[in-house]
Amino acid sequence: MDRDELIKHLLEKFPEKIELLETGRAEPFFLLKNKDDLVAFCESIKTDENLDIDYLCNIGAVDTGERFEVVYDVASVKKHIRFDFKLRFEYEGAEIDSVQKVWPAANWYEREMWELYGINIRDHGNLKRFLLPDDWDQGHPMRKNWDAPDFVRMPEVE
Amino acid sequence: MTAPGIHTEEFQVNMGPHHPSTHGVCRFILTMDGEVIIKAEPVIGYLHRALEKICENRTYQQCIPVLDRFEYCTSMSCNEAFALAAEKLGGLEVPERAEYLRVIMLELNRIASHLIWFGTTSLDLGAITPFLYGFREREDILDLFEMTCGQRLTYNYIRVGGVAKDIPPEFIPKCKEFLDKFDAKVDDYERVLTENPIFIVRNKDIGVLTPEMAIAYAVSGPSLRASGVKFDLRKDDPYSIYDRFNFNIPVTHNGDCYDRYLIRIAEMRESARIVRQAIEQIPEGEIAAKVSMNYKPPEGEVYSRIENSRGEMGVYIQSPGKEKKPLRVKLRGGSYNQLQVMPELVKGHKIADVVAIMASLDIILPEVDR
Repeated sequence: MDRDELIKHLLEKFPEKIELLETGRAEPFFLLKNKDDLVAFCESIKTDENLDIDYLCNIGAVDTGERFEVVYDVASVKKHIRFDFKLRFEYEGAEIDSVQKVWPAANWYEREMWELYGINIRDHGNLKRFLLPDDWDQGHPMRKNWDAPDFVRMPEVE
Repeated sequence: MTAPGIHTEEFQVNMGPHHPSTHGVCRFILTMDGEVIIKAEPVIGYLHRALEKICENRTYQQCIPVLDRFEYCTSMSCNEAFALAAEKLGGLEVPERAEYLRVIMLELNRIASHLIWFGTTSLDLGAITPFLYGFREREDILDLFEMTCGQRLTYNYIRVGGVAKDIPPEFIPKCKEFLDKFDAKVDDYERVLTENPIFIVRNKDIGVLTPEMAIAYAVSGPSLRASGVKFDLRKDDPYSIYDRFNFNIPVTHNGDCYDRYLIRIAEMRESARIVRQAIEQIPEGEIAAKVSMNYKPPEGEVYSRIENSRGEMGVYIQSPGKEKKPLRVKLRGGSYNQLQVMPELVKGHKIADVVAIMASLDIILPEVDR
Protein backbone atom coordinates (compact mmCIF):
# COMPACT_ATOMS: atom_id res chain seq x y z
CA MET A 1 0.00 0.00 0.00
CA ASP A 2 1.56 3.32 -1.01
CA ARG A 3 1.13 6.68 0.63
CA ASP A 4 -1.99 7.81 -1.27
CA GLU A 5 -3.79 4.50 -0.87
CA LEU A 6 -3.03 4.51 2.83
CA ILE A 7 -4.41 8.04 3.28
CA LYS A 8 -7.54 7.17 1.30
CA HIS A 9 -8.08 3.95 3.22
CA LEU A 10 -7.75 5.60 6.64
CA LEU A 11 -9.91 8.62 5.77
CA GLU A 12 -12.64 6.35 4.41
CA LYS A 13 -12.53 4.06 7.37
CA PHE A 14 -12.63 6.80 10.03
CA PRO A 15 -14.33 9.70 8.22
CA GLU A 16 -15.42 11.69 11.28
CA LYS A 17 -12.65 10.76 13.63
CA ILE A 18 -9.40 11.69 11.94
CA GLU A 19 -8.11 14.41 9.69
CA LEU A 20 -4.94 14.59 7.58
CA LEU A 21 -2.33 17.10 8.67
CA GLU A 22 -0.30 17.93 5.58
CA THR A 23 3.34 18.17 6.50
CA GLY A 24 4.66 17.34 3.05
CA ARG A 25 6.77 14.34 3.97
CA ALA A 26 6.87 10.70 2.96
CA GLU A 27 4.82 9.36 5.88
CA PRO A 28 1.30 10.70 6.41
CA PHE A 29 0.45 12.43 9.68
CA PHE A 30 -3.08 12.33 11.11
CA LEU A 31 -4.89 14.11 13.90
CA LEU A 32 -7.23 12.02 16.02
CA LYS A 33 -9.86 14.60 16.92
CA ASN A 34 -11.21 13.10 20.14
CA LYS A 35 -8.79 11.61 22.62
CA ASP A 36 -11.47 9.29 24.00
CA ASP A 37 -11.44 7.40 20.68
CA LEU A 38 -7.80 6.46 21.17
CA VAL A 39 -8.04 2.82 22.25
CA ALA A 40 -10.82 1.97 19.80
CA PHE A 41 -8.84 3.56 16.96
CA CYS A 42 -5.65 1.68 17.87
CA GLU A 43 -7.50 -1.60 18.12
CA SER A 44 -9.12 -1.20 14.75
CA ILE A 45 -5.91 -0.30 12.91
CA LYS A 46 -4.26 -3.30 14.51
CA THR A 47 -6.99 -5.75 13.55
CA ASP A 48 -7.63 -4.30 10.07
CA GLU A 49 -6.16 -6.89 7.72
CA ASN A 50 -5.13 -4.29 5.15
CA LEU A 51 -3.13 -2.36 7.71
CA ASP A 52 -2.02 -4.87 10.35
CA ILE A 53 -0.35 -2.21 12.49
CA ASP A 54 1.48 -4.48 14.93
CA TYR A 55 4.51 -2.39 15.78
CA LEU A 56 4.61 0.70 17.97
CA CYS A 57 7.76 2.64 17.09
CA ASN A 58 7.48 5.46 19.55
CA ILE A 59 5.19 7.62 21.67
CA GLY A 60 6.21 11.16 22.43
CA ALA A 61 4.44 13.95 24.23
CA VAL A 62 4.91 17.55 23.11
CA ASP A 63 4.27 20.73 25.06
CA THR A 64 3.63 23.35 22.38
CA GLY A 65 3.40 26.19 24.89
CA GLU A 66 -0.39 26.34 24.43
CA ARG A 67 -1.51 22.74 24.79
CA PHE A 68 -0.29 19.17 24.91
CA GLU A 69 0.13 16.89 21.95
CA VAL A 70 0.85 13.17 22.09
CA VAL A 71 2.36 11.65 18.95
CA TYR A 72 2.12 7.94 18.14
CA ASP A 73 4.48 6.61 15.48
CA VAL A 74 3.22 3.21 14.33
CA ALA A 75 4.23 0.68 11.71
CA SER A 76 3.45 -2.72 10.32
CA VAL A 77 6.29 -5.23 10.15
CA LYS A 78 4.46 -7.52 7.72
CA LYS A 79 2.87 -4.93 5.42
CA HIS A 80 5.67 -2.33 5.46
CA ILE A 81 3.33 0.52 6.36
CA ARG A 82 4.26 3.44 8.55
CA PHE A 83 2.33 6.50 9.60
CA ASP A 84 1.87 8.77 12.58
CA PHE A 85 -1.11 10.17 14.39
CA LYS A 86 -1.50 12.53 17.26
CA LEU A 87 -3.86 13.83 19.90
CA ARG A 88 -4.30 17.43 21.01
CA PHE A 89 -5.66 18.43 24.39
CA GLU A 90 -5.54 21.21 26.95
CA TYR A 91 -3.36 21.36 30.08
CA GLU A 92 -6.45 21.27 32.25
CA GLY A 93 -7.32 17.66 33.12
CA ALA A 94 -4.61 16.19 30.89
CA GLU A 95 -5.46 12.52 30.87
CA ILE A 96 -5.44 9.82 28.18
CA ASP A 97 -6.08 6.09 28.01
CA SER A 98 -3.30 3.55 28.01
CA VAL A 99 -2.75 1.64 24.76
CA GLN A 100 -0.85 -1.20 26.47
CA LYS A 101 -3.64 -3.64 25.67
CA VAL A 102 -2.98 -3.08 21.98
CA TRP A 103 0.81 -2.74 22.04
CA PRO A 104 2.54 -3.85 25.28
CA ALA A 105 5.56 -1.72 24.29
CA ALA A 106 3.54 1.38 25.26
CA ASN A 107 4.08 0.74 28.98
CA TRP A 108 7.40 2.54 29.40
CA TYR A 109 6.61 5.32 26.93
CA GLU A 110 3.47 6.16 28.89
CA ARG A 111 5.25 5.94 32.22
CA GLU A 112 7.84 8.39 30.94
CA MET A 113 5.13 10.74 29.67
CA TRP A 114 3.38 10.67 33.03
CA GLU A 115 6.58 11.50 34.86
CA LEU A 116 8.10 14.14 32.62
CA TYR A 117 4.93 15.91 31.42
CA GLY A 118 2.38 15.16 34.12
CA ILE A 119 -0.11 13.64 31.69
CA ASN A 120 -2.18 11.11 33.59
CA ILE A 121 -2.59 7.67 32.01
CA ARG A 122 -5.82 5.77 32.74
CA ASP A 123 -5.55 1.99 33.33
CA HIS A 124 -1.76 1.99 33.29
CA GLY A 125 -1.08 0.05 36.48
CA ASN A 126 2.60 0.89 36.83
CA LEU A 127 2.87 4.65 37.24
CA LYS A 128 6.02 4.89 39.34
CA ARG A 129 9.09 7.14 39.20
CA PHE A 130 11.10 6.18 36.17
CA LEU A 131 13.92 8.40 34.91
CA LEU A 132 13.96 10.91 37.77
CA PRO A 133 15.17 10.26 41.34
CA ASP A 134 12.71 8.54 43.70
CA ASP A 135 12.42 11.62 45.93
CA TRP A 136 11.89 14.10 43.06
CA ASP A 137 9.44 16.85 44.02
CA GLN A 138 10.12 19.64 41.53
CA GLY A 139 7.33 19.13 39.05
CA HIS A 140 7.41 17.94 35.47
CA PRO A 141 10.69 18.99 33.85
CA MET A 142 9.77 18.57 30.18
CA ARG A 143 7.02 21.18 30.36
CA LYS A 144 7.88 24.43 28.63
CA ASN A 145 7.31 26.53 31.74
CA TRP A 146 9.83 24.52 33.76
CA ASP A 147 13.37 25.87 34.03
CA ALA A 148 16.11 24.36 36.14
CA PRO A 149 17.73 26.92 38.45
CA ASP A 150 21.22 26.07 37.14
CA PHE A 151 20.23 25.79 33.48
CA VAL A 152 22.86 27.48 31.29
CA ARG A 153 21.52 28.97 28.08
CA MET A 154 23.71 28.55 24.99
CA PRO A 155 24.89 31.85 23.49
CA GLU A 156 23.00 32.88 20.37
CA VAL A 157 24.70 32.03 17.05
CA GLU A 158 25.00 34.86 14.58
CA MET B 1 11.72 -28.64 44.93
CA THR B 2 11.99 -28.75 48.72
CA ALA B 3 12.13 -31.56 51.21
CA PRO B 4 8.95 -31.93 53.31
CA GLY B 5 8.90 -29.96 56.52
CA ILE B 6 11.35 -27.29 55.36
CA HIS B 7 9.98 -23.78 55.36
CA THR B 8 10.79 -21.75 52.19
CA GLU B 9 9.94 -18.23 51.16
CA GLU B 10 10.63 -15.83 48.27
CA PHE B 11 13.33 -13.26 48.70
CA GLN B 12 14.67 -10.31 46.78
CA VAL B 13 18.14 -9.81 45.36
CA ASN B 14 19.46 -6.48 44.21
CA MET B 15 21.62 -6.68 41.12
CA GLY B 16 23.55 -3.55 40.25
CA PRO B 17 23.61 -0.65 39.65
CA HIS B 18 27.40 -0.81 39.86
CA HIS B 19 27.93 -4.16 38.27
CA PRO B 20 30.21 -4.44 35.24
CA SER B 21 27.85 -6.65 33.29
CA THR B 22 24.98 -4.18 33.34
CA HIS B 23 26.63 -2.17 30.51
CA GLY B 24 26.29 1.20 32.09
CA VAL B 25 24.34 1.56 35.29
CA CYS B 26 21.15 -0.43 35.57
CA ARG B 27 19.70 -2.07 38.64
CA PHE B 28 17.55 -5.16 38.71
CA ILE B 29 15.32 -6.09 41.61
CA LEU B 30 15.06 -9.86 41.30
CA THR B 31 12.47 -11.85 43.20
CA MET B 32 13.88 -15.32 43.73
CA ASP B 33 12.47 -18.69 44.62
CA GLY B 34 15.64 -20.46 45.70
CA GLU B 35 17.93 -20.10 42.70
CA VAL B 36 15.18 -19.40 40.19
CA ILE B 37 14.05 -15.91 39.20
CA ILE B 38 10.30 -15.46 39.33
CA LYS B 39 10.15 -11.71 38.76
CA ALA B 40 12.57 -9.05 37.62
CA GLU B 41 12.15 -5.32 37.70
CA PRO B 42 14.63 -3.03 35.96
CA VAL B 43 15.32 0.29 37.69
CA ILE B 44 16.77 2.87 35.32
CA GLY B 45 17.51 6.58 35.24
CA TYR B 46 21.06 6.57 36.61
CA LEU B 47 22.34 7.94 33.29
CA HIS B 48 19.52 10.36 32.61
CA ARG B 49 21.03 13.57 31.21
CA ALA B 50 17.86 15.23 29.88
CA LEU B 51 19.18 15.21 26.31
CA GLU B 52 15.72 15.94 24.93
CA LYS B 53 15.35 19.05 27.08
CA ILE B 54 18.85 20.20 26.14
CA CYS B 55 18.05 19.83 22.43
CA GLU B 56 15.07 22.17 22.81
CA ASN B 57 17.56 24.90 23.71
CA ARG B 58 19.97 24.33 20.80
CA THR B 59 19.98 25.13 17.10
CA TYR B 60 19.80 22.16 14.77
CA GLN B 61 23.56 22.02 14.16
CA GLN B 62 24.23 22.45 17.88
CA CYS B 63 22.00 19.44 18.59
CA ILE B 64 24.34 17.07 16.73
CA PRO B 65 27.10 16.96 19.40
CA VAL B 66 24.39 16.47 22.04
CA LEU B 67 23.06 13.51 20.06
CA ASP B 68 26.58 12.01 20.07
CA ARG B 69 26.04 11.30 23.76
CA PHE B 70 22.73 9.55 23.16
CA GLU B 71 24.21 6.21 22.17
CA TYR B 72 27.94 6.62 22.36
CA CYS B 73 28.89 3.21 20.95
CA THR B 74 27.49 4.28 17.58
CA SER B 75 27.62 8.07 17.60
CA MET B 76 27.56 8.12 13.81
CA SER B 77 24.07 6.60 13.78
CA CYS B 78 22.80 9.19 16.24
CA ASN B 79 24.15 11.96 14.03
CA GLU B 80 22.60 10.34 10.97
CA ALA B 81 19.18 9.81 12.55
CA PHE B 82 18.96 13.43 13.62
CA ALA B 83 20.39 14.81 10.37
CA LEU B 84 17.93 12.73 8.32
CA ALA B 85 14.98 14.03 10.31
CA ALA B 86 16.12 17.63 10.07
CA GLU B 87 16.74 17.28 6.33
CA LYS B 88 13.29 15.80 5.77
CA LEU B 89 11.77 18.76 7.62
CA GLY B 90 13.46 21.31 5.37
CA GLY B 91 13.47 19.20 2.19
CA LEU B 92 17.27 19.37 1.93
CA GLU B 93 19.16 17.40 -0.70
CA VAL B 94 22.39 15.76 0.43
CA PRO B 95 25.23 15.60 -2.14
CA GLU B 96 26.07 12.20 -3.57
CA ARG B 97 29.56 12.00 -2.10
CA ALA B 98 28.26 12.86 1.36
CA GLU B 99 25.76 9.99 1.17
CA TYR B 100 28.57 7.55 0.40
CA LEU B 101 30.76 8.93 3.17
CA ARG B 102 27.84 8.55 5.56
CA VAL B 103 27.27 4.93 4.61
CA ILE B 104 30.97 4.10 4.96
CA MET B 105 31.07 5.68 8.44
CA LEU B 106 27.77 4.15 9.56
CA GLU B 107 28.79 0.65 8.59
CA LEU B 108 32.28 0.96 10.07
CA ASN B 109 30.62 2.21 13.22
CA ARG B 110 28.23 -0.74 13.20
CA ILE B 111 31.22 -3.10 13.06
CA ALA B 112 32.92 -1.20 15.89
CA SER B 113 29.77 -1.43 18.00
CA HIS B 114 29.36 -5.14 17.34
CA LEU B 115 33.01 -5.60 18.32
CA ILE B 116 32.30 -3.97 21.68
CA TRP B 117 29.34 -6.30 22.07
CA PHE B 118 31.50 -9.27 21.09
CA GLY B 119 34.18 -8.37 23.61
CA THR B 120 31.93 -7.54 26.54
CA THR B 121 29.59 -10.48 25.98
CA SER B 122 32.41 -12.96 26.20
CA LEU B 123 33.90 -11.08 29.15
CA ASP B 124 30.55 -11.34 30.94
CA LEU B 125 30.57 -15.09 30.32
CA GLY B 126 34.10 -15.49 31.60
CA ALA B 127 36.21 -15.47 28.44
CA ILE B 128 38.89 -12.79 28.26
CA THR B 129 40.60 -13.48 24.91
CA PRO B 130 37.66 -12.38 22.68
CA PHE B 131 37.57 -9.06 24.52
CA LEU B 132 41.18 -8.39 23.52
CA TYR B 133 40.52 -9.55 19.95
CA GLY B 134 37.45 -7.36 19.56
CA PHE B 135 39.07 -4.23 20.90
CA ARG B 136 42.15 -4.82 18.73
CA GLU B 137 40.11 -4.57 15.50
CA ARG B 138 37.95 -1.78 16.88
CA GLU B 139 41.13 0.23 17.35
CA ASP B 140 41.76 0.14 13.58
CA ILE B 141 38.28 1.52 12.93
CA LEU B 142 38.74 4.24 15.54
CA ASP B 143 42.01 5.21 13.83
CA LEU B 144 40.08 5.64 10.58
CA PHE B 145 37.53 7.86 12.36
CA GLU B 146 40.26 9.83 14.06
CA MET B 147 42.03 10.63 10.80
CA THR B 148 38.70 11.78 9.33
CA CYS B 149 37.15 13.88 12.06
CA GLY B 150 39.69 13.96 14.89
CA GLN B 151 37.48 12.10 17.35
CA ARG B 152 37.44 8.54 18.60
CA LEU B 153 34.10 8.28 20.38
CA THR B 154 31.83 11.29 19.87
CA TYR B 155 32.36 12.15 16.24
CA ASN B 156 30.07 15.10 15.43
CA TYR B 157 30.79 14.12 11.83
CA ILE B 158 27.45 13.72 10.05
CA ARG B 159 25.83 17.15 9.98
CA VAL B 160 22.53 18.49 8.74
CA GLY B 161 23.02 18.70 4.96
CA GLY B 162 26.10 16.51 4.62
CA VAL B 163 29.26 15.67 6.54
CA ALA B 164 31.76 17.86 8.37
CA LYS B 165 34.97 17.01 6.49
CA ASP B 166 36.13 15.05 3.51
CA ILE B 167 38.22 11.94 4.12
CA PRO B 168 42.00 12.37 3.90
CA PRO B 169 43.82 10.67 0.95
CA GLU B 170 45.25 7.90 3.18
CA PHE B 171 41.78 6.87 4.37
CA ILE B 172 40.85 4.59 1.47
CA PRO B 173 44.10 2.52 1.40
CA LYS B 174 43.93 2.13 5.19
CA CYS B 175 40.29 1.13 5.05
CA LYS B 176 40.95 -1.43 2.30
CA GLU B 177 43.79 -2.85 4.36
CA PHE B 178 41.42 -3.24 7.28
CA LEU B 179 38.67 -4.86 5.18
CA ASP B 180 41.15 -7.30 3.61
CA LYS B 181 42.14 -8.72 6.97
CA PHE B 182 38.78 -8.37 8.69
CA ASP B 183 37.05 -11.47 7.32
CA ALA B 184 39.90 -13.65 8.54
CA LYS B 185 39.63 -11.98 11.94
CA VAL B 186 35.92 -12.80 12.15
CA ASP B 187 36.85 -16.41 11.37
CA ASP B 188 39.20 -16.20 14.34
CA TYR B 189 36.40 -14.94 16.58
CA GLU B 190 34.19 -17.77 15.50
CA ARG B 191 36.95 -20.29 16.14
CA VAL B 192 37.16 -19.09 19.73
CA LEU B 193 33.45 -19.02 20.56
CA THR B 194 31.02 -20.55 18.05
CA GLU B 195 31.71 -24.17 18.94
CA ASN B 196 33.04 -23.59 22.40
CA PRO B 197 31.13 -26.02 24.68
CA ILE B 198 31.06 -23.65 27.67
CA PHE B 199 29.78 -20.80 25.52
CA ILE B 200 27.08 -23.03 24.02
CA VAL B 201 25.88 -24.29 27.40
CA ARG B 202 25.65 -20.71 28.68
CA ASN B 203 23.70 -19.50 25.62
CA LYS B 204 21.63 -22.23 23.98
CA ASP B 205 17.93 -22.08 24.89
CA ILE B 206 18.54 -19.21 27.31
CA GLY B 207 16.24 -16.19 27.12
CA VAL B 208 14.06 -17.35 24.23
CA LEU B 209 12.25 -14.44 22.59
CA THR B 210 9.32 -15.53 20.44
CA PRO B 211 8.58 -13.52 17.27
CA GLU B 212 5.13 -12.53 18.59
CA MET B 213 6.56 -11.18 21.82
CA ALA B 214 9.36 -9.41 19.98
CA ILE B 215 6.94 -7.52 17.74
CA ALA B 216 4.52 -6.76 20.58
CA TYR B 217 7.32 -5.19 22.61
CA ALA B 218 8.72 -3.44 19.51
CA VAL B 219 12.06 -5.20 19.77
CA SER B 220 14.13 -4.40 16.70
CA GLY B 221 17.47 -4.99 15.08
CA PRO B 222 19.53 -8.17 15.50
CA SER B 223 17.43 -9.28 18.48
CA LEU B 224 14.29 -9.28 16.31
CA ARG B 225 15.99 -11.06 13.41
CA ALA B 226 17.30 -13.76 15.76
CA SER B 227 13.62 -14.60 16.45
CA GLY B 228 12.99 -15.34 12.77
CA VAL B 229 11.50 -12.01 11.68
CA LYS B 230 13.29 -10.76 8.59
CA PHE B 231 13.02 -7.04 9.14
CA ASP B 232 15.83 -4.60 8.56
CA LEU B 233 15.13 -0.94 7.92
CA ARG B 234 18.03 -0.76 5.47
CA LYS B 235 15.98 -3.03 3.18
CA ASP B 236 12.39 -2.64 4.39
CA ASP B 237 12.17 1.12 4.82
CA PRO B 238 15.28 2.22 2.91
CA TYR B 239 16.92 5.51 3.77
CA SER B 240 20.03 7.20 2.42
CA ILE B 241 21.46 5.10 -0.46
CA TYR B 242 21.23 1.59 1.01
CA ASP B 243 19.20 0.40 -1.98
CA ARG B 244 22.36 0.59 -4.12
CA PHE B 245 24.31 -2.07 -2.26
CA ASN B 246 24.26 -5.83 -2.30
CA PHE B 247 24.04 -7.35 1.14
CA ASN B 248 22.13 -10.06 2.96
CA ILE B 249 19.98 -9.82 6.05
CA PRO B 250 20.95 -12.75 8.29
CA VAL B 251 18.01 -14.42 10.05
CA THR B 252 17.91 -17.25 12.59
CA HIS B 253 14.89 -18.86 14.16
CA ASN B 254 15.42 -19.95 17.77
CA GLY B 255 15.41 -16.53 19.38
CA ASP B 256 17.82 -17.57 22.14
CA CYS B 257 21.08 -15.96 23.22
CA TYR B 258 23.13 -18.19 20.95
CA ASP B 259 21.15 -17.14 17.85
CA ARG B 260 21.54 -13.50 18.72
CA TYR B 261 25.29 -14.15 18.84
CA LEU B 262 25.26 -15.78 15.38
CA ILE B 263 23.29 -12.89 13.87
CA ARG B 264 25.70 -10.23 15.04
CA ILE B 265 28.73 -12.17 13.83
CA ALA B 266 27.11 -12.55 10.40
CA GLU B 267 26.17 -8.86 10.36
CA MET B 268 29.77 -7.78 10.81
CA ARG B 269 30.68 -9.61 7.61
CA GLU B 270 27.75 -8.02 5.74
CA SER B 271 28.68 -4.53 6.94
CA ALA B 272 32.23 -5.08 5.69
CA ARG B 273 30.74 -5.99 2.29
CA ILE B 274 28.78 -2.74 2.19
CA VAL B 275 31.84 -0.66 3.07
CA ARG B 276 33.83 -2.38 0.33
CA GLN B 277 31.16 -1.60 -2.29
CA ALA B 278 30.81 1.99 -1.10
CA ILE B 279 34.55 2.57 -1.35
CA GLU B 280 34.55 1.31 -4.93
CA GLN B 281 31.57 3.40 -6.02
CA ILE B 282 32.25 6.67 -4.19
CA PRO B 283 32.12 9.66 -6.58
CA GLU B 284 33.98 12.95 -6.35
CA GLY B 285 32.08 16.11 -5.51
CA GLU B 286 30.67 18.28 -2.77
CA ILE B 287 30.47 16.91 0.78
CA ALA B 288 27.73 19.13 2.16
CA ALA B 289 24.76 21.14 0.98
CA LYS B 290 24.85 24.82 1.85
CA VAL B 291 23.05 25.04 5.17
CA SER B 292 23.04 28.13 7.34
CA MET B 293 24.24 27.77 10.93
CA ASN B 294 20.82 29.16 11.79
CA TYR B 295 18.97 26.54 9.79
CA LYS B 296 15.24 27.29 10.05
CA PRO B 297 13.07 24.50 8.64
CA PRO B 298 9.40 25.27 7.88
CA GLU B 299 6.66 24.37 10.33
CA GLY B 300 6.11 20.65 10.54
CA GLU B 301 7.01 17.44 12.27
CA VAL B 302 8.75 14.27 11.30
CA TYR B 303 9.68 10.90 12.77
CA SER B 304 12.58 9.35 10.95
CA ARG B 305 14.13 6.01 11.76
CA ILE B 306 17.32 4.20 10.83
CA GLU B 307 18.75 0.75 11.49
CA ASN B 308 21.32 1.04 14.22
CA SER B 309 23.45 -1.79 15.59
CA ARG B 310 20.95 -2.11 18.46
CA GLY B 311 17.82 -1.84 16.38
CA GLU B 312 15.57 0.97 15.31
CA MET B 313 16.88 4.39 16.21
CA GLY B 314 14.27 7.06 15.68
CA VAL B 315 14.25 10.80 16.09
CA TYR B 316 11.05 12.82 16.22
CA ILE B 317 11.40 16.55 15.62
CA GLN B 318 8.69 19.15 15.72
CA SER B 319 9.60 22.49 14.22
CA PRO B 320 7.48 25.53 15.09
CA GLY B 321 8.45 27.19 11.80
CA LYS B 322 10.73 30.24 11.30
CA GLU B 323 12.62 29.27 14.46
CA LYS B 324 16.18 28.08 14.67
CA LYS B 325 15.48 25.79 17.61
CA PRO B 326 13.27 22.71 17.51
CA LEU B 327 10.11 22.77 19.62
CA ARG B 328 10.55 19.15 20.61
CA VAL B 329 13.07 16.38 19.99
CA LYS B 330 12.15 12.85 21.03
CA LEU B 331 14.73 10.11 20.88
CA ARG B 332 13.95 6.44 20.54
CA GLY B 333 16.61 3.78 20.89
CA GLY B 334 16.55 0.04 20.41
CA SER B 335 17.85 -0.73 23.91
CA TYR B 336 14.77 0.87 25.50
CA ASN B 337 12.46 -1.82 24.16
CA GLN B 338 14.99 -4.61 24.59
CA LEU B 339 15.29 -3.75 28.28
CA GLN B 340 11.52 -3.52 28.61
CA VAL B 341 11.07 -7.10 27.38
CA MET B 342 13.90 -8.47 29.53
CA PRO B 343 11.81 -9.25 32.65
CA GLU B 344 9.79 -11.65 30.47
CA LEU B 345 12.94 -13.37 29.22
CA VAL B 346 14.67 -13.94 32.55
CA LYS B 347 11.70 -15.61 34.24
CA GLY B 348 12.58 -19.18 35.22
CA HIS B 349 16.30 -18.69 34.70
CA LYS B 350 19.12 -18.26 37.23
CA ILE B 351 20.99 -15.09 38.11
CA ALA B 352 23.98 -15.99 35.94
CA ASP B 353 21.63 -16.12 32.94
CA VAL B 354 20.53 -12.51 33.51
CA VAL B 355 24.07 -11.54 32.60
CA ALA B 356 24.02 -13.69 29.45
CA ILE B 357 20.60 -12.39 28.36
CA MET B 358 21.47 -8.76 28.95
CA ALA B 359 24.71 -9.19 27.01
CA SER B 360 23.02 -10.94 24.10
CA LEU B 361 20.34 -8.26 23.75
CA ASP B 362 23.21 -5.74 23.57
CA ILE B 363 21.56 -3.22 25.86
CA ILE B 364 23.46 -0.09 26.71
CA LEU B 365 22.02 2.25 29.27
CA PRO B 366 22.79 5.75 27.94
CA GLU B 367 20.40 4.93 25.12
CA VAL B 368 17.69 3.90 27.58
CA ASP B 369 18.04 6.82 29.99
CA ARG B 370 18.89 9.57 27.49
